Amino acid sequence: MSDSAGPLPLRVASVADDADRAVLARVADGELSALDDLYERYKTMAYSIAFRITNDATLAEDVVQDAFLGAWRNAARYVEGRGSVKTWLLSIVHHRAIDAVRRRRPTSELPEREDVPPPELRLPDVWAEVSSRLDADTVRGAMAVLSDVQREAIELAYFGGLTQLEVAERTATPLGTVKSRMRLGLLAMRRALLEAEGPAAPGAASGASPGAGGEAR
Amino acid sequence: MTDLTRSTRPDLSCDDVRELAASFVLGALDVDEADAVRAHLASCAEPHPEMAELGSVVAVLNEAVPLVEPPPALKGRILAAAAADRAARGGAAGRDVEAAEPPAVSAPLPSPADAVPFPSPAEREQRAAARAGMGTWIVRIAAVLAIALLGGWNLLLQGQLEAARTYEQNVAAVLDVAGQPGSLTAILTGEGADAPAGLAAIASDGSVRIAMSELPATSGNQVYEAWVIGGDGVPVALGGFQVGETGVAYFEGSGLPTEAGIVLALTLEPGPGATAPSSAPVSAGIAVGAG
Repeated sequence: MSDSAGPLPLRVASVADDADRAVLARVADGELSALDDLYERYKTMAYSIAFRITNDATLAEDVVQDAFLGAWRNAARYVEGRGSVKTWLLSIVHHRAIDAVRRRRPTSELPEREDVPPPELRLPDVWAEVSSRLDADTVRGAMAVLSDVQREAIELAYFGGLTQLEVAERTATPLGTVKSRMRLGLLAMRRALLEAEGPAAPGAASGASPGAGGEAR
Repeated sequence: MTDLTRSTRPDLSCDDVRELAASFVLGALDVDEADAVRAHLASCAEPHPEMAELGSVVAVLNEAVPLVEPPPALKGRILAAAAADRAARGGAAGRDVEAAEPPAVSAPLPSPADAVPFPSPAEREQRAAARAGMGTWIVRIAAVLAIALLGGWNLLLQGQLEAARTYEQNVAAVLDVAGQPGSLTAILTGEGADAPAGLAAIASDGSVRIAMSELPATSGNQVYEAWVIGGDGVPVALGGFQVGETGVAYFEGSGLPTEAGIVLALTLEPGPGATAPSSAPVSAGIAVGAG
């Protein structure tokens, strides 16, 4: 994973996706050993994201456990072609981690919705598959194109678990400005990624990512 | 519970959704707003490519996270929770275990014990079905308890799924005997939290089955020797067996006195064929009658 200048290895990612889907199908059948496999594949990413968001080892463990149990119970509802298993699983981790930190903040209003499936497990899954294997250096390079205020807004939201309103309050910025910082920041990152990975890469508007195994819509 | 807010919320327009797209994919909307966006996307005839465009970038953010390894024990917790969840849902729990391979002791037995074939799942099934007066579910519950108490849980916590299954099957075989009239059972324990522990049952014909977990692996010619100590206080060797890395073992022997109060013990011996224990038992228990 040190080939930061190389093209996006979508074919490799596709093979991994196929294997992931096979594992997830077994998880849906209630096979514990399949859950074991899934965990071994993504434990480090899952825990790293949970830890980055919660900044608390115990809470991060709970989040990862919740997320894998969520995947265990809802594997049958994963919709092929709407993003990779990896993206699906990590989005569950992300949502659970955000829930956990929002719950921890006394000021935050968070409706009790324990009785319904988590949002990421309901329609529609809009997460297009970009790449399972983007090099971390490439990603950091793309983040480097963000202005300080854009990065702050995106990180407070995605890793801090703040709502757009809370980001506005925290940074003493009008809500509309926060929204545009997030939007323009993501678009700038997208351009940087496309340039770094070559013309055929991430979710090109045509939806043609060769071998990526299906696009959302 | 809070569904009122959703039903009273006005529907979003396509423009609203476009404006909220970045916040949505970043998870920066509150629950109601995010639900409204989802509701719109689910029913809107217009494509909303901005969602995939921006969402794909967000998925990439994950790749920039500094990597931290989870603690090894987390896997066991997750698998144990999933197993409990499956059991609670009444899913395929039983089927998996019954369909699995019959348990095998990790190394060839250097004793007469290996002359006794381990009952196949089908045979165990038959015996369980033929057993009068005792519902299978009681055995099931007992098995779950025994596993939880006697090491299966620890195995799950350590992520040793196969070992836990093997142990569960071994315990089920012991419980088959324990459910028969006139049998005796013994819980074998050692000193310390991680000491070798297990369950034994002695049938009325003097045969014994022992299921153990957490036994340190044997090396070379080493064997665990099983002993029975009757009223005269003299240990009588029952046979030996070896143990692999999982620490799980199953043993069958015969010729035991069928009196409550006899002691079953395991010692670690330098080789097979010991006629007297060379060291203190690693695990032992007293046989008691059922009921």
